[in-house]
Amino acid sequence: MLFSFSNLNSWVVGLCPPLTIDITFGEIFFCSASARLTCKLKIYKLEKKEKFLTSHNRFVRYMRSNFNDGAGKPLANDHSEPQEIEASVTASSEKVGSTLSITVVGASGDLAKKKIFPALFALYYEDCLPEDFTVFGYARTKLTDEELRNMISKTLTCRIDKKENCEDKMDQFLMRCFYYSGLYSSEEHFAVLDSRLKEKEAGKLSNRLFYLSIPPNIFVDVAKCASLRASSATGWTRVIVEKPFGRDSESSGELTRSLKQYLREDQIFRIDHYLGKELVENLSVLRFSNLVFEPLWSRNYIRNVQFIFSEDFGTEGRGGYFDNYGIIRDIMQNHLLQILALFAMETPVSLDAEDIRNEKVKVLRSMQPLLLENVIVGQYKGHNKGSKSYPAYTDDPTVPKGSLTPTFAAAALFLNNARWDGVPFLMKAGKALHTKRAEIRVQFRHVPGNLYKRNFGTDLDKATNELVLRLQPDEAIYLKINNKVPGLGMRLDRSDLNLLYRSRYPTEIPDAYERLVLDAIEGERRLFIRSDELDAAWALFTPLLKELEEKKIVPELYPYGSRGPVGAHYLAAKYNVRWGDLSGEDS
Amino acid sequence: MAALSSSTALSSSSVNGLHQRIAFSSPPSFLLPQRFLSAKLSLQCRRNSHPNMVLMEDGAAVTRPTHVKNETPLNELNERLVLGTSLEESNDAAGFDMNGDESTVSITVVGASGDLAKKKIFPALFALYYEGFLPKHFTIFGYARSKMTDAELRNMVSRTLTCRIDKRENCDEKMDEFLKRCFYHSGQYDSQENFAALDKKLMAHEGGRVSNRLFYLSIPPNIFIDAVRCASSSASSGNGWTRVIVEKPFGRDSESSAAMTKSLKQYLKEDQIFRIDHYLGKELVENLSVLRFSNLIFEPLWSRQYIRNVQLIFSEDFGTEGRGGYFDHYGIIRDIMQNHLLQILALFAMETPVSLDAEDTRNEKVKVLRSMRPLRLEDVVTGQYKSHTKGGVSYPAYTDDKTVSKDSLTPTFAAAALFIDNARWDGVPFLMKAGKALHTRRTEIRVQFRHVPGNLYNRNFGTDLDRATNELVIRVQPDEAIYLKINNKVPGLGMRLDRSHLNLHYAARYSKEIPDAYERLLLDAIEGERRLFIRSDELDAAWALFTPLLKELEEKKIIPEYYPYGSRGPVGAHYLAARYNVRWGDLGVEQ
Repeated sequence: MLFSFSNLNSWVVGLCPPLTIDITFGEIFFCSASARLTCKLKIYKLEKKEKFLTSHNRFVRYMRSNFNDGAGKPLANDHSEPQEIEASVTASSEKVGSTLSITVVGASGDLAKKKIFPALFALYYEDCLPEDFTVFGYARTKLTDEELRNMISKTLTCRIDKKENCEDKMDQFLMRCFYYSGLYSSEEHFAVLDSRLKEKEAGKLSNRLFYLSIPPNIFVDVAKCASLRASSATGWTRVIVEKPFGRDSESSGELTRSLKQYLREDQIFRIDHYLGKELVENLSVLRFSNLVFEPLWSRNYIRNVQFIFSEDFGTEGRGGYFDNYGIIRDIMQNHLLQILALFAMETPVSLDAEDIRNEKVKVLRSMQPLLLENVIVGQYKGHNKGSKSYPAYTDDPTVPKGSLTPTFAAAALFLNNARWDGVPFLMKAGKALHTKRAEIRVQFRHVPGNLYKRNFGTDLDKATNELVLRLQPDEAIYLKINNKVPGLGMRLDRSDLNLLYRSRYPTEIPDAYERLVLDAIEGERRLFIRSDELDAAWALFTPLLKELEEKKIVPELYPYGSRGPVGAHYLAAKYNVRWGDLSGEDS
Repeated sequence: MAALSSSTALSSSSVNGLHQRIAFSSPPSFLLPQRFLSAKLSLQCRRNSHPNMVLMEDGAAVTRPTHVKNETPLNELNERLVLGTSLEESNDAAGFDMNGDESTVSITVVGASGDLAKKKIFPALFALYYEGFLPKHFTIFGYARSKMTDAELRNMVSRTLTCRIDKRENCDEKMDEFLKRCFYHSGQYDSQENFAALDKKLMAHEGGRVSNRLFYLSIPPNIFIDAVRCASSSASSGNGWTRVIVEKPFGRDSESSAAMTKSLKQYLKEDQIFRIDHYLGKELVENLSVLRFSNLIFEPLWSRQYIRNVQLIFSEDFGTEGRGGYFDHYGIIRDIMQNHLLQILALFAMETPVSLDAEDTRNEKVKVLRSMRPLRLEDVVTGQYKSHTKGGVSYPAYTDDKTVSKDSLTPTFAAAALFIDNARWDGVPFLMKAGKALHTRRTEIRVQFRHVPGNLYNRNFGTDLDRATNELVIRVQPDEAIYLKINNKVPGLGMRLDRSHLNLHYAARYSKEIPDAYERLLLDAIEGERRLFIRSDELDAAWALFTPLLKELEEKKIIPEYYPYGSRGPVGAHYLAARYNVRWGDLGVEQ
């Protein structure tokens, strides 16, 4: 039975209960986070063999079911006989133990400084990294190890709730960080990196993770050099890449093809950091581990679903990259669409990565490609409020003056399947709006034959139940219900059944990157995007994006800091929807 | 009815533009009790002045008794009441409703020197007055055997009046004005002459206006009938309505209850009898129907398909405390279960009524009661508290109470499993538990849902899937709250689940004070809204369920299981629950 668990994580969950059931508080502590790690460390060596076998089994199943196209690439195992390689790995691991090397390619960049190194430190602090690990920074800039450490140390922070010996830990972490300067397209430089990695690995089983924190045009070069020159000979080699994954179906397909020349599908970890957010993770838990939600999760009860992303700032002088992509590619086609797929998918066979991703792909493939008339685009313009003046998008010096790139978009999407036929899924994403927020809103239908109708006025749809998952900021889940106002009359109002994370869970919620890096280390692919998912996602958006560009659709201008173009309301009205975030009740 | 409604509109339009507007804007409103009309509007009106409130009841305009002085609308149509048409609502409401200036209400509290009167009834009346819910012309009479002057009564009443926390201003002024409307008449409960004297006093205060009279019988049940006979024959209103509020106990079993109903009906019509169950006046019990019927998300779950069991729990953290004389004669099953908990159960489990009309709701409740199996002895656990010493403080046993016989077997605790044999609830255990001298004071409804079939996260839950199910809790008192327990991922890198609450805590959400149940019920009685009162057939059905059990308990002299004062009650309750695969939600480690 245990052997069917398909990754280390599940392994530990499977093994932990006898150690960690804690009923004192009545909660379901079957495997606490720290226990997961303790267990992991204990089990890591003992169960290495089984771990590899299970991951191998999954790999084989995976290759059979999905990817029979990966011919003999440099790193690809021979599909017919992968067992031998795994077996040899297993044998060596039992002798010498293993080590993990994480190479951050593009170490001097912004994302690396702000997100990746802090996430790695947090994992180290929480004891989530293996005992034996090394972090390498790789970039073109000339830096010494000391300089890198100095740079990183400025952005590291400790969890608010665990201040003690933070400094110690930080120093220990920094001692494991090294730097190597090299060109992204130079195989020689990667070969040198390889030798330095080997030095640190000291003959142990080596697992290597490359985090490509670099512009997309050099993805393939780096993947090539790393794969050819710096792959692990004994353990696994994985590569994390982050968006953009192309600009459309063609360029994305091209990128995937190129990457696959050097990497197998199971080595590619495409990050969508929204999938690492706590409430997105919790979405499936809510749906599938509570009886009260699943019966409602269909067109019978749900009237519409809204995915809303707002930022309260513009490009602020860094619009160069953005202008080439626009909000639809930057937010909708990936983050919001991924959440939509998770929201709408059928129950997967298991929580296994492939099972979940299979279901997500099915959702994407059941969707109608977006139509131009179901999309509203906007761009922010300058705005003076009080004495402060906010710039227009085209005031950004890195943006061409005549740019038509949307900084706001709203779209209506439809799923043609039995569960969701006719239910509008609305998306809205924008920069320079009045608030910073990401949320999912599920609006339910009105009660048929409601006995209390007359208490609601003429529009019954204004008083329906609504489930809101607020992903950020201030993580919360709340369900709007109709309730009697206490008192002698019979007046109803909508109140919230709510769960505000901050008050229920005082511990800090880990950053999405921590989760995702840890998952990549553990080989858990659930939260990463598979090639066919990516293809399906692009297939939905590419025709629209082409049409927008070909027809040079002029975006509706909206003032910086406003609630976005009013066109979004008309789009919603067309499908008999009202934006839940702009209803006045909780803006 | 259609003809009636149009005539409603016509007659009222001729009188008052407001009537007309309301009548036309909500044509079917004659079907509904007034407080259910377009709530915001009506509430605002009601808050401002009482007469406006009654304008909402356009059905009343049919018999608008502007010129009717010597006609009792109740004399007509009385037989139709039982059929549940709403015509009667309109008619008797009309008695005073339409004429803020012309009609009066006299409220006579029979048994005015008693505890309930002092603690609940007078304060509730004052609260209604304070909030502007009483009609312009009203008089309150205290009636009891004690000799007292009006001033003495006022003095007594004034000690228990309080103002709403949120409305302190001019409270004293209001209190004085209220007290001036309070009078006292001393008399025997079985004396027609004394009631006739009361009638004269009432008439003097009514000053020739249409008189509506409400008698609140706050007296022991053995004198109910006498008082009713005297009030009805000697102090009934000549031209308005006369209503009588009675409170439990309504008998001790089917026979005595039926006998009492029969006697009452010798003097009163069904629609004059208002049997109070004050639990039905509690805010969250009122809200139960709102939750169910005005939210899409609950109704689909409201059946055996999703609900595993329902628990109705009542605990008090004190014993009889020297006042067990009455209690010893009845016991916790009659005192709490057969009425309060059973009423809540019926409301919870009923099918969707045709409307919110009193008769429609009560019809559905009766159907639930009649679908239930009478309780069997083996599905009941009884208990009685024994003395207990904790930290130097010694708590007495039930039988230490001087008013209780030493060898009393009267249960102070009971737990029972009930079943409703209908399509919706077949096989779902409804568990009731009520007890005195327990560790906490609490009344709540707990709905435990089934486990998720084929749960993907089973592994995270351990072996007993039923321990991690959703649960909806409606806490009726104290600290009114509604919360739904859901399974949630504990934030962090692992995949650990726990049960957290989606909750609505009334104190946090609604800053205003929640009215006492008696306020609502008194107001309803004045308005003729019968939804929250118990109809005779309901009462019969309720007794039919409990009488065989009660007889058997007494005949077999079943000895209650003893539990220490202040404890969580006898463990037998757990075994009873276990037999039906239920776990008491209130005694989990989570609480």
